[in-house]
Amino acid sequence: MKLRPAKITGHLPATVAWVIIAAATLVAPLLLSTPQVIIYVTIGLATMVVAGLSLLMGFAGQVSLGQAAFYGIGAYSAAIMAVHGWPPLLALVLAPVITAAIAGLLGIPLLRLKGHALAFGTLAVQLIMLAVLSETPSLTGGAVGLSGVPTLKIGPIALTGYRQYAYLVWVVAAIVLLVSRNITRSRPGRGLRAMATAPSAASAAGVNVVTYKLRDFALSAAYAGLAGGIYAFFLGYVSPDAFPVMLSIEYVIMVVVGGLGTVSGAFVGAAVIMVISQVLSSIGSSPSLPPQLPNVLSEGVYAVILIAVLRLMPDGIVGLSSRLAKRVGSRFGAQRGEGGQSVEADVTVVAASSTADEPDAPAREAGAKPVNR
Amino acid sequence: MSAFLQYLITGIARGFLFALLATGFVVIHRVTKVVNFAQGAFAVLGGFIAYSLLRAGVPHGVSEAIAVLAAAAIGLVFGAITILGNMTPVGSLITTIGLAILSEAIAMIAWGTTPLTFSGIGGPDIQVAGVFLQTQYLLLIGVSLVVLVVLWLALDRTYVGKGMTSCASNPYAARLAGINVKRMGLLSFAIGGALGGLGGVLIMPLFPLTYDGDVSLSILGFAAAIVGGLTSPGLALVGGLVFGIAEQFVAGYWSPANESAVALGILLLLLLWQARRHRSEEIA
Repeated sequence: MKLRPAKITGHLPATVAWVIIAAATLVAPLLLSTPQVIIYVTIGLATMVVAGLSLLMGFAGQVSLGQAAFYGIGAYSAAIMAVHGWPPLLALVLAPVITAAIAGLLGIPLLRLKGHALAFGTLAVQLIMLAVLSETPSLTGGAVGLSGVPTLKIGPIALTGYRQYAYLVWVVAAIVLLVSRNITRSRPGRGLRAMATAPSAASAAGVNVVTYKLRDFALSAAYAGLAGGIYAFFLGYVSPDAFPVMLSIEYVIMVVVGGLGTVSGAFVGAAVIMVISQVLSSIGSSPSLPPQLPNVLSEGVYAVILIAVLRLMPDGIVGLSSRLAKRVGSRFGAQRGEGGQSVEADVTVVAASSTADEPDAPAREAGAKPVNR
Repeated sequence: MSAFLQYLITGIARGFLFALLATGFVVIHRVTKVVNFAQGAFAVLGGFIAYSLLRAGVPHGVSEAIAVLAAAAIGLVFGAITILGNMTPVGSLITTIGLAILSEAIAMIAWGTTPLTFSGIGGPDIQVAGVFLQTQYLLLIGVSLVVLVVLWLALDRTYVGKGMTSCASNPYAARLAGINVKRMGLLSFAIGGALGGLGGVLIMPLFPLTYDGDVSLSILGFAAAIVGGLTSPGLALVGGLVFGIAEQFVAGYWSPANESAVALGILLLLLLWQARRHRSEEIA
């Protein structure tokens, strides 16, 4: 696992690191300016969605090009319930449940698909969802969207300021990451990982491939739905334009950049891509330049980053840094195999989180042919 | 009745565009096992290049030919980025998604955001059974048909064509037989690029293209290719026509807003049906 280098020198440094990260996350909103807090909230929301997609891509070995659809379903279900007078907190809690239920129903037929078929299938689902949202104005406000989402109240506290949202988002994101971490270390997590590399072997070893995949899919949708629900209250307004196909693609880029199937990769990928996009939009948004330039610039830069990461460090930033840490660790006398095995491991084999006790050969063999046709 | 004919012929023309894109998917997938998400980008870039050449005063015919060659060259570059080195099919798919958004960014920087079109060749409209048609429709249908038939023959009958197919079915054996698998893969990407570019230059006089039109073209091309299981160019043509005609009838008789939803619904059903068929084949 990626925490192994820390184990070599003892548990303490990792714990200290996590405490520092947690403290920094909590102090940050106090130091940031209002526009920066908005970005900070957005990174937190993206982290949740990416954590779910990372479970799906890293563990079930499947690409979803429709993750923004679940983000949108969460946002719309929270907004619709709240606008119709349901208690906002209840609406927020139900949003991921509804999203997961829809994903579960969609997943029963959809998860028969693999590889490119699932990618296009999920993309089709998202486009159909956008069409449905625009065509049902009585419920969703149609193409114009749904405005007037009431203020979120948690007990006596009404969330009105951006800073309060920053705390809400990051507390929820931390819970989501913790759940992910526990799942990856549990039997279902190991089962899922086995499934990604060798589905037949996993199923022979007693992993119920269909159920695990479906649960994984529903859980990843629940994360997105939860983030979407918070988004609806944060903005007070939802419209189909907020959930374009490009957003789904951005999530995939964040997963790949952060590192597939790693829990911290979700945060790293979301943060790196969001910060880059903010830098680009501040460069590109000077009045003399065309208004669409920031978007286009970030699209182009995303594309270059995505391709560069896929070619040069297929296990993402987290995978790369843990490999470097491993190498440093082995220099300090630990009897550990070179981390080099994952250099040529591919994106679907969950390179970053492949453990040393996993046999290498079957993984590579399965990696050569993950789409069983 | 004349509305019916109008929709039918427009649908057939759109169908040939989808068939050209679908055949690009099929050729690339048959050789490299890669599903090229940037297939629609070839059409957009090819069409835009022809537009610029025509504006610069290059005559019809020459402009389109250069644009198709340029699209083939773009295909070659995309292919090199996608298949050289060690990549899994899913890694390659994500790479082609990156290439698709990269081409969108390039197309927008170079050509802007307004839909572009140029006047096709062909002079006065011709009348078929009470329907007025631009000659461009016939040109699109005729040229695509000839290109597709020549390509099928080349794939099935020539040494290079058979070599290309062998790369996907058994790369190891193909290499033993002296076939350069990577080079064949690059060739398939160049052909895919040329087919996309051809579709783009032929359709642009009839349906203006925007810089971000590539995603819907890729999806419809993929949908058409899926009819033939991503391996049969003949069924890809059938698929293209089905999707083209369905699109025009839904838009004409029902609502243009529903046209993409219907196409996507059909695509989903096709994908699921084929996944089921594959499974039963595996069991048997």
